[in-house]
Amino acid sequence: MIFLAALLVAGLGVLGMALVKADTRGAPGSVAGESTPAAASGLSSGVFTPAHRTLLEAMEDYFDYFPTPVQPIAFNHKIHIAKGMKCLSCHAGAALGPQAGIPSVTFCMACHQVIATNNPEIQKLASYAAEGREVPWQPVNWFYPAAHVRFWHAPHIRAGVDCTTCHGNVSQQTVAVRQSDLNMHFCLSCHREKEVSVDCATCHD
Amino acid sequence: MRRRTFLMFSAATAAGAMWDVAVEHGAPGKELVRFIPETKLIPGVTVWRPSVCAQCAAGCGLSVRVVEGDAEVVRKGQSGLIKVGLAKKLEGNPGHPVNRGKLCARGQAGLQVTYNPDRLSHPLRRTGPRGSGQYAEVGWEEALGELHARLGPLASPSATSSLAFLTPPLRGQRRALIENFLSGFDGSALVSFEFFDDRVLREANRLSFGRAQLPTFDLAQSNVVLSFGADFLGTWNSPVAQSLSYGTMRQGRSGVRGKFVQVEPRISQTGASSDEWIPARPGTEGELALGIAHVLMSEHLRPAAAAGSAGRWIAGWSDGLPEYRPEAVAWKTSVAPETIRGLARQLATHSPAVAIVGGAPLAQTNGLFTALAVNALNALLGSVGKPGGLQFTPQLGSIGPAAPAKSKSNAANLSGNIQTLAQQIRTGKPKPVGALLIYQANPVFAAPPDWQVKEALVKVPFIASFGSFTDETSSLADLILPDHSYLESWVDDLPESGAAEAVLSLAPPALEPLHHTRATPDVLLDLAHRLGGPVAKALPWKTYEAMLQDAYTPLRHLPGSVSAASDDEFWSKVKDQGGWWSAGPVPETKPTAARGRSQPVKNQEPEFDGPAQDFPFHFLPFPSQQFGDGRHANLPWLQEMPDLLSTAMWGSWVEIHPGTAQRLGIAEGDLVEVSSPHGVLRAPAVLSPGIAPDVVAMPVGQGHERYGRYASGRGANPMAILGTKTEPETGALAWAATRVSVRRIGKGELCLFSVGPLEWGAKQLKR
Amino acid sequence: MSRRWGMVIDLDRCTGCEACVVACSAENNIATAGESQAAKGRAIHWIRVERSWEGEFPNVRVRFRPVPCQQCDAAPCEPVCPTYASYHNAEGLNAQVYNRCIGTRYCANACPYTGRFFNWFQPSWDKPLQLQLNPDVSIREAGVMEKCTFCYQRALVAESQAEAEKRPLRDGEVSPACVQSCPSGAMVFGDLNDPASAVSRLAGLDRGVKLLEEVGTFPKITYLARES
Repeated sequence: MIFLAALLVAGLGVLGMALVKADTRGAPGSVAGESTPAAASGLSSGVFTPAHRTLLEAMEDYFDYFPTPVQPIAFNHKIHIAKGMKCLSCHAGAALGPQAGIPSVTFCMACHQVIATNNPEIQKLASYAAEGREVPWQPVNWFYPAAHVRFWHAPHIRAGVDCTTCHGNVSQQTVAVRQSDLNMHFCLSCHREKEVSVDCATCHD
Repeated sequence: MRRRTFLMFSAATAAGAMWDVAVEHGAPGKELVRFIPETKLIPGVTVWRPSVCAQCAAGCGLSVRVVEGDAEVVRKGQSGLIKVGLAKKLEGNPGHPVNRGKLCARGQAGLQVTYNPDRLSHPLRRTGPRGSGQYAEVGWEEALGELHARLGPLASPSATSSLAFLTPPLRGQRRALIENFLSGFDGSALVSFEFFDDRVLREANRLSFGRAQLPTFDLAQSNVVLSFGADFLGTWNSPVAQSLSYGTMRQGRSGVRGKFVQVEPRISQTGASSDEWIPARPGTEGELALGIAHVLMSEHLRPAAAAGSAGRWIAGWSDGLPEYRPEAVAWKTSVAPETIRGLARQLATHSPAVAIVGGAPLAQTNGLFTALAVNALNALLGSVGKPGGLQFTPQLGSIGPAAPAKSKSNAANLSGNIQTLAQQIRTGKPKPVGALLIYQANPVFAAPPDWQVKEALVKVPFIASFGSFTDETSSLADLILPDHSYLESWVDDLPESGAAEAVLSLAPPALEPLHHTRATPDVLLDLAHRLGGPVAKALPWKTYEAMLQDAYTPLRHLPGSVSAASDDEFWSKVKDQGGWWSAGPVPETKPTAARGRSQPVKNQEPEFDGPAQDFPFHFLPFPSQQFGDGRHANLPWLQEMPDLLSTAMWGSWVEIHPGTAQRLGIAEGDLVEVSSPHGVLRAPAVLSPGIAPDVVAMPVGQGHERYGRYASGRGANPMAILGTKTEPETGALAWAATRVSVRRIGKGELCLFSVGPLEWGAKQLKR
Repeated sequence: MSRRWGMVIDLDRCTGCEACVVACSAENNIATAGESQAAKGRAIHWIRVERSWEGEFPNVRVRFRPVPCQQCDAAPCEPVCPTYASYHNAEGLNAQVYNRCIGTRYCANACPYTGRFFNWFQPSWDKPLQLQLNPDVSIREAGVMEKCTFCYQRALVAESQAEAEKRPLRDGEVSPACVQSCPSGAMVFGDLNDPASAVSRLAGLDRGVKLLEEVGTFPKITYLARES
């Protein structure tokens, strides 16, 4: 019982603090170097430890806490998938390389020039495109740079791992939400089951 | 679980105390705008794109690893991020005949040219006094408008002053473009400047072999290699091609291991690989070569006639060189007679054998004689044009636009050198220099002080530079119109050596430009268009790409590395391959026939600048493994690359023989003063067993006054104390002919990467 | 049988040009220390070219050898690590798991080849030099030990490529940045468990020696001695 109480108190504390600024902060790093390693490693302001800029960041990392990002456009995965689009239609990089990638606004506008142009969210999209800007999508799935994780999508897709294994059933989601902890336990249980490499150096560099 | 819970509980308590820190790390409002990218790459997937290395004159082919990434850019006044292809690594182009997939340290560090923090990102106009380095950003239209306004009057037939264009020695279409540009300016001069310019060797090869060209060595099949001062594995000629074949010479053939002997007063990086080091006295290398030739002839190992026409430039050749008996040569060179005989016998009996000459021996007042002597030795050995010997890479210099018809005054001036330019500026004859355009060359840094290059250049009424950096020369400019980096440009080159086939290196831009720069060839085409008249006529192309395509497509009909059914297909394949190389005989640029000389070159004693009693040491500035002639000193990877022999990083040093140092009371790391009749410099001492006791040596490359944050104010510049003795036949600077004195000043600082066998650790020597 | 990566360095071919040194810095995101840190011995070079002088003027010889981590089979750096950050993997590499490392530096102390380096400061790059960073290699923060990995990321890329093309890895397809760049072909890399590989053949030559073989570390780098 005491464990559970402690868990609750601690959990709430972390969560509460994190929420204060969850909406304003960019992810310090992201999956497979979505941003450049230099930006991701927080080179400028190492204070708490070289690996974590603040105690909070260290705690969040330790407890696998990842704030839910607030997306600039309430993108609806469900609708797109219902209309027959595949994950790889937009995230083509997943089959080809390390990163799944997020399509450019020009890719979205190829359809949305004509489709659902009255929808206020689509109008937001159109205004980004008109300004020559990308939609500032917030990363959903990422690792702390201090984890030194190297993750490549393509080998997993080739091995027949379904996107849902890590990302959940996106066809039932609107805005994408982090579905798995993506911690070592999560990765390794699958790697062990499929009898593939569990060597540290395969994933950590 | 237990540990985690405990930690979690403590963490929650501690978190309260850290609230301030936590809030700070949100850093709101710092997110940059993202612009829509212009190119599409698969994120995280490598694309290899061809390019051409511009770090030295070898013209190696590059493979650029390009991966998508975020670059910070400014678009319409707003700064933001954009996804672009970023260069992540430079490797050699595996298909390129010169470097076959390999690349030297300086070539690889070229990545830091493109991403250098001190690269100029905008056109600049001078605001402070000349040379102050005070500039303000201007737009391209404004900058081009000003350049046009300044050059316009010089392009008119009645112009009273002329235009000079200062560049490093250029080849290929870039040279053709600049020559055509200048053809519209009466009395204009294309002045090429490079410190280590091999002018003497080209002249010698023109006389000996009818080719004013640097040789290509087939070391892979040589059994004995005798090098006179040439740093052919480090910085000289085509070092990657030469290293490739050197590797094969040593261990690439079963049962045969080539032997390598190096003659030089200080062990260079190349000399360090030799089986035998012969520290002949500076300036006597030609003497030694003829001593060997004497033995070859007197012992009937080779007949004098074998040298053919290469022998006729040496007095007494056909008589068997009676003045060069080993005993006589030994007295001058300090090389033992037995050594000379031994070398001759080895060369004769273990053919194919080849002799190489380059670098310091040719930078003496008798440089041409030395080069001709070694050429004659090669001819005597029968190694010219033979496997395992030396050859000449076929030159396809004739492609592209015909050289412009020159007026008489042009013809006289089209290839000037920096001294004649300085002279012209000072005297205003034949015409005052009204404007100077500078492209990459940096003679203010790399010329001896007595040439007074800077003093002359500041007198030119208008100077514009196309450089990517402000250096000692370009900081004199009134207007700077920065070029793209070579990875961002259409690049073409015509390697002079390093391959058996004719090679044209060419590649489209591997990267989008990072800054608001413009490719200089395109700027010149634009300018020609604006100027109109004969300049525009000589350069009808809208873009450099179009000019290159026009020059290259006729190659389709020659036997070469690309077969294509149409011109378009040919062009696209050439671009993908990173160039074109011949696969059969091609019509060459006519070798320059020997002319203007019928008498042998006299063997003069080398002359040195500075009397021996006051200046007891020969001063040997050497091209450094890191910085070549100094142009790479702004690249941090090379600054932190330990020198092979001294292990020094981030500075310069003076190499002194330990015995000499002891005599002068100098210890390793002491600050010493090196004085010549022309100047004084200070640098820490490195005691090196691999240097003759009467020689002090110093790497070239450091001592920049103004060359960005990594190079400025670091170390000392040996060029700053050089005398102005020249090789009289060619006018080339005898940069190894200065004498100096050395004295201890006090304690110095030396940043060493100490690599005694299996010890590691850099230490700062402080006394 | 799993792979066992190994290297041969032919000292008779090596010219000491240090192309390998720059290739390594470029491939592995090794930060430049700068003069003041370098003077304190904090410059990091996963591969260095050692030089030693022999004899006295004029009979002087220079010898040099490139020294990266020797990837020992019995590596002294591994048992001393309290956090198992330094460990031996199935392909025979002495790998370093940066996120386990707590910076005790015991491993550096134990290594007879001085092949391990401590990050004394947070690495940084003057903008825009950070654009050169290799996305396949992470940045090591201050307080972490780092070392030569035989460019394991390049092996993974090649393996992944071979797997995608459903073919076995070819000999010579994987090469660390130093080996790739070497102009004189002095360095050869490959699978020591494959008797047909170039590296196996060369490692068996009479000229082959191991560095400090007597301390019993069983290095996987074989040096081919100079013949003069």
